[in-house]
Amino acid sequence: MSAKQEASKTEHKTKKFGKTERKIPHHTQKAKKFYPTEDEAKPRKVRKSIHAARPRKTLQPGSILILLAGRFRGKRVVLLKHLPQGVLLVTGPFKVNGVPLRRVNARYVIATSAKVELKGIDEKVVEKVGEEGYFTRDKAENKKGEDQFFRQGEMPKKKKMNSDRANDQKAVDKALLTTIKKEPHLMDYLGSTFSLRKGDRPHEMKW
Amino acid sequence: MGRLNEYQVIGRHLPTEKQPTPKLYRMRIFAPNTVVAKSRFWYFLMKLRKVKKSNGEIISINLIHERRPTTVKNFGIWIRYDSRSGTHNMYKEYREMSRTEAVDALYQDMAARHRARFRSIHILKVVEIEKTDDVKRPYIKQLLSKNLKFPLPHRVAKASTKKIFVAHRPSTFA
Amino acid sequence: MAEIEIKASQWRLVEVGRVVLFTHGPFTGRLAAIVEIIDHKRALVDGPSKKENASVPRQSVSLNYLIITPIVIPKLPRQAGRGAVAKAWEKEEVEQQWDESAWAKRREQREKRRNLSDFDRFKVLKLKKQARFEVRKAHAKVRAAAKSS
Repeated sequence: MSAKQEASKTEHKTKKFGKTERKIPHHTQKAKKFYPTEDEAKPRKVRKSIHAARPRKTLQPGSILILLAGRFRGKRVVLLKHLPQGVLLVTGPFKVNGVPLRRVNARYVIATSAKVELKGIDEKVVEKVGEEGYFTRDKAENKKGEDQFFRQGEMPKKKKMNSDRANDQKAVDKALLTTIKKEPHLMDYLGSTFSLRKGDRPHEMKW
Repeated sequence: MGRLNEYQVIGRHLPTEKQPTPKLYRMRIFAPNTVVAKSRFWYFLMKLRKVKKSNGEIISINLIHERRPTTVKNFGIWIRYDSRSGTHNMYKEYREMSRTEAVDALYQDMAARHRARFRSIHILKVVEIEKTDDVKRPYIKQLLSKNLKFPLPHRVAKASTKKIFVAHRPSTFA
Repeated sequence: MAEIEIKASQWRLVEVGRVVLFTHGPFTGRLAAIVEIIDHKRALVDGPSKKENASVPRQSVSLNYLIITPIVIPKLPRQAGRGAVAKAWEKEEVEQQWDESAWAKRREQREKRRNLSDFDRFKVLKLKKQARFEVRKAHAKVRAAAKSS
């Protein structure tokens, strides 16, 4: 039935004008009275495709990095894993230099030639931490709303530490710390921060 | 490699009925490339004989290499040179490793001392001076003395020191 | 009149047999011997080292691109051939002499320091600190002993 209706929609109609009878085309068949002066813009075909980020060769899991930006700039940290889109999963270890499990953009990092063995690390925890949404899960709750802004007299609640996160941190760092302790000076190295001194030429330095 | 090369250019008048085997002319010419070498050949030949490019031909052109490019030799060069006020003949000596280098040095020297251009210098003869007694010019003679030695005073210690800007100019006095 | 002591100058001289160090160009850091003086600004040099990346082919060089070292190959004839130079070079043990010099050692150390990694630089810093601490400690002890007596 619907097909029939559709056919009738575009069909010609015959109408009587005085004595004569004329076919009147359906309005969709008629020549348009109005044409746009410009061609209609068509959305351009996207010829790009999403590639997996290809990290630098020097960014091997286990290598020690120098962070260049953000709250922990200058800190030397251990690279754990590559996350998609050029993001690196990194840990201080927290006990050594206060850097927690953290995501870092690979661009804002210097890779040094020093390396730490990642043997004995709890792979499952690293996997879990690397999953999407791990770091952003608690963010939404803590967002400041409008009414919180107007209630300024009240002290904001102290950020509650998620014990899960702390446990994950401990689980990852435990094996790392034992391997770090084995190599002399490495602990101090990770605990120190990097900064440029007089006469330092970072482009001429070897890392 | 220097700016100039030495070419051997051989050419002749085109054969005619009267003279089916015209004489060959050979020149050794210092030029940056073969095009200039051929041009200079016709330029000189027109001055010497009644042959020009339109009624002559070049038979062969080839590069002459230095026989021993790693030994230091003394060269005597005779030139004719058009100064701003007249034409002069000159004899100059150079201490170089090859004929082309000597001629190169000559052009630089003439440009420096007399503001002379390539076009105003004709090289007449380049000769290697084999015996040191035959060296005439004192500026070459002084380099041939036995056990020649000299210090290098007045040197800046190092071209690129660590600092880019300094308050005082470096001292070159020991 | 008082007697005047006349001393010969201590200049290192450009002369045949003098060993030079390249400071510019593709042979930077290599050694060669002057075989012939071309003029007051140039010399013919030859560096017949057998080590890899240390030899210099016979060529004329501007003296501006060289530093003259205190090493001289004595009685090297003028315009000696490559073989003769190599023999004299070997006999005079030019490279051993050079390697033993404080200059070469300093160059080598500088090169080594330049190629240190970040971790190595940190270790150098720490060990230096330790050494300094020991020296200071000993010094303080000596001073205290001197004061009390």
